[in-house]
Amino acid sequence: MAQLAQAIAPPVGRRQRILLTVLRFQGYFGLLTVFLLGIIFSPTRRGVNLFIDPLNQANIVRDIAENGIIAIGMTLVILIGGIDLSVGAVVALVATTGAALLMRVGMGTEVTILAMLALGAAVGFTNGLVSTRFRIQSFIVTLAMMSVARGLARIISTGLAIPIAYGPGAAPVSFSWLGTRIGPNVPVPALIMLVIAVLTGLMLRYTPFGRHVYAIGGNEVAARLSGVRVERIKITVFVMCSVLTALAGLIHAAQLNQGSPNEAVGYELNAIAAVVIGGTSLMGGIGSITGTIIGALMLGMLDNILGLNNVNSDIQLLVKGALIVAAVILQQLRPRDQE
Amino acid sequence: MAEPHNVPLAPARQPITEEASPKAPVLMMRGITKRFPGVLALSEVDFTVYPSEVHVLVGENGAGKSTLMKILSGVYTDYEGQVELDRSPIHPRSPRDAQKHGIAMIHQDLQQIPELTVYENLFLGREYHGFLGKVDTQRMRAETRRWLSSLGLNIDPDRQVKHLRVAERQLLEIAKAISLEARVLVMDEPTSALNSEEVAHLFNVIRKLRSEGVAIIYISHRLDEIFTIADRITVLRDGRLVDSRPVEEMNRAMLIRLMVGRELTDLFPTEARELGPELLNVEGLSLTDNRRPLHDISFAARAGEIVGLAGLLGAGRTELLATLYGVPHPRQVHGRIFVRGQPVRFRSPRDAIAAGISFVTEDRKGQSLVLVRSVRENISLVGLRQFLRGLVLNLAREEASVGSLIRNLRIKTPGINVRVAQLSGGNQQKVVLAKFLLVQPKIILLDEPTQGIDIGAKVEIYTLINRMAKEGAAVMLASSEMPELLALCDRILVLCEGQVAGELARGEATQEKILELATRFRRADAGERTTAA
Repeated sequence: MAQLAQAIAPPVGRRQRILLTVLRFQGYFGLLTVFLLGIIFSPTRRGVNLFIDPLNQANIVRDIAENGIIAIGMTLVILIGGIDLSVGAVVALVATTGAALLMRVGMGTEVTILAMLALGAAVGFTNGLVSTRFRIQSFIVTLAMMSVARGLARIISTGLAIPIAYGPGAAPVSFSWLGTRIGPNVPVPALIMLVIAVLTGLMLRYTPFGRHVYAIGGNEVAARLSGVRVERIKITVFVMCSVLTALAGLIHAAQLNQGSPNEAVGYELNAIAAVVIGGTSLMGGIGSITGTIIGALMLGMLDNILGLNNVNSDIQLLVKGALIVAAVILQQLRPRDQE
Repeated sequence: MAEPHNVPLAPARQPITEEASPKAPVLMMRGITKRFPGVLALSEVDFTVYPSEVHVLVGENGAGKSTLMKILSGVYTDYEGQVELDRSPIHPRSPRDAQKHGIAMIHQDLQQIPELTVYENLFLGREYHGFLGKVDTQRMRAETRRWLSSLGLNIDPDRQVKHLRVAERQLLEIAKAISLEARVLVMDEPTSALNSEEVAHLFNVIRKLRSEGVAIIYISHRLDEIFTIADRITVLRDGRLVDSRPVEEMNRAMLIRLMVGRELTDLFPTEARELGPELLNVEGLSLTDNRRPLHDISFAARAGEIVGLAGLLGAGRTELLATLYGVPHPRQVHGRIFVRGQPVRFRSPRDAIAAGISFVTEDRKGQSLVLVRSVRENISLVGLRQFLRGLVLNLAREEASVGSLIRNLRIKTPGINVRVAQLSGGNQQKVVLAKFLLVQPKIILLDEPTQGIDIGAKVEIYTLINRMAKEGAAVMLASSEMPELLALCDRILVLCEGQVAGELARGEATQEKILELATRFRRADAGERTTAA
């Protein structure tokens, strides 16, 4: 096959070929570029480049873990041609409810985690069921869920953050593991993100479920006429997204030692940004988990570089906006003949 | 072959008048060469069109027809060669620019805004303005009525375009072109969605325009039609102009040879087939659908049999096939369906597939293919399960199966991981067939399987249909191309208004009989039918 492809492929000059390669693997090149820029623009302290310092790198991956995990779920939803705006509110709902269960009800770590994942599943099931059964765009359904989840979080916590303390009469210490490190440099949240990314990536590539997800996003009618259980798969995807979001919410609570109903505002936009920078089409049917992780890493490194240079956080927002647009423009130049 | 569409031929071509005798060409495209990265789409094409001429442009998909027309209509602006209108060079920079030069193109997928009214579409972008810039709707309505009636079309200018039938929308597009004083009118497969009456009307309109001096460039795949309407035929193949001559000097066999580049001895290959047991049996099938209901349909199809479905557009052919495939909600479906003697009731296409039924839809891109995904993923979509080992797909085995289907059906693709969107129409259709062949269906429902694909690919599809039947499948073939039905089918069911109007066996079926049955129940109220000239 490769020979055939070569025979048919247009004869292009060497420079053009290099450009095509760069465009095709632009995600990796983009990440590399941001990484190199990070080193170049990093302040140094006592001869140490602060950006590539292992501790700083560990901080980056820890900081992106929550967004990365949510973005993996968001990738699935976007692949089927949907969107999930409720993730930020679900993080807040899970964080506060989880904190309440640990601190006020006195539940154990495992039970709390399971209960919160189940809560996520229920939210996702509702999103999926309502949008498929009543044929409402997921944009609308999850916009409503965003409001509901945020409201529930405020009701449960009476509007105030619930602090998590560890020890007898408070939360079991084991819960704090979700926000700690293994050894000096391996943050648990990043590890969780990595495992989930690998599993989801494999699932998309090697299971009928993955193929069906791509097919539904590419052409829902054709998928249905090919015998794909469209509704079931869509609902499953919404459940997966919300369960992953719930996991991110638990990590959020563990890292901040509190569950606050007013946090995680705008997380949905960060997740969507990572997905889009990673090359997943908002029209559905095209995209990958690798791309999304690259997108999340690029956003995280950018924040980190700007932070190290004490750039005003308002300026950071501007730079982030520019990055999103630049990434999407570059993707349109990308050769799209192959998957 | 008999006259295809019962088209009342217009009076013979007008005698050439003295002054028009050595007619000057209205359009000359000279030495047109167009390159895409790595592909030579057009090579030194000289294309000349005279006024008052219907110039048919033919060629297989990828021959360069649409590229040439896109250059003419200003879509492609970087090309070599020269375009001359009335002997002065022009260089259309955009479709709008081409329009200003009097070149109008009517696309296959009509570019109208369905939500707007007829007159709003006709005057889109050039509305008349009155006092203080207020849109002068009265004047636009009046003008619209005038343009439409000049085409024998009597529709209310205030109707929304989405309520028009395809034929009416087509004529509206033509009206727009002539209201723009187009002198060269390009029509890309204008009849693909029309029934024979509508085609006849369209042809009358074309003849009228011709008599008024308009040059018409007509792109079509339908041979019968070409010989009915053409004054001159130009054949493109692989980006080169291979021949251009008056229709009198051309015949079907020659045209096919020129297009395909080789002799096609048998357009409709047939093989003797053994008929086996009844695979599909339908009793009193009805579909209660508001738009396109079916009434009390009964028939059977045997193994090895090809059963044709004929009927005008909207007769219910597609609805019948879709119902057999489990597409409509089961609540709307009444009557009984038996597959191999067993009663079935499908809740979804998935159930139908499990029962051994396949459905190739008429809308290849919209309903059959996932265009943004690869050839491999499209072909294996229906039969994925067979590559499962535990929870995981065995990609090597998938590759082997898909690869052998690609070779078997001679699907031309640069590779199995190439997006289906990159393939030509004929090869895309083969991908759809391959997708279902993978699960070895017993009953195959085909809806216009050769629509919009070139002759070479058509013959291959015909061969494939025969082969599937020979191997023991029951094939149902819905088509609006009568020669196709007559040549391939053992029996033809003619539908009209959602009912079976009659059944014709091979041998007794003729185009006339089919047409007669197809219009049998047509209600007398022609209120909807506004195209009657």
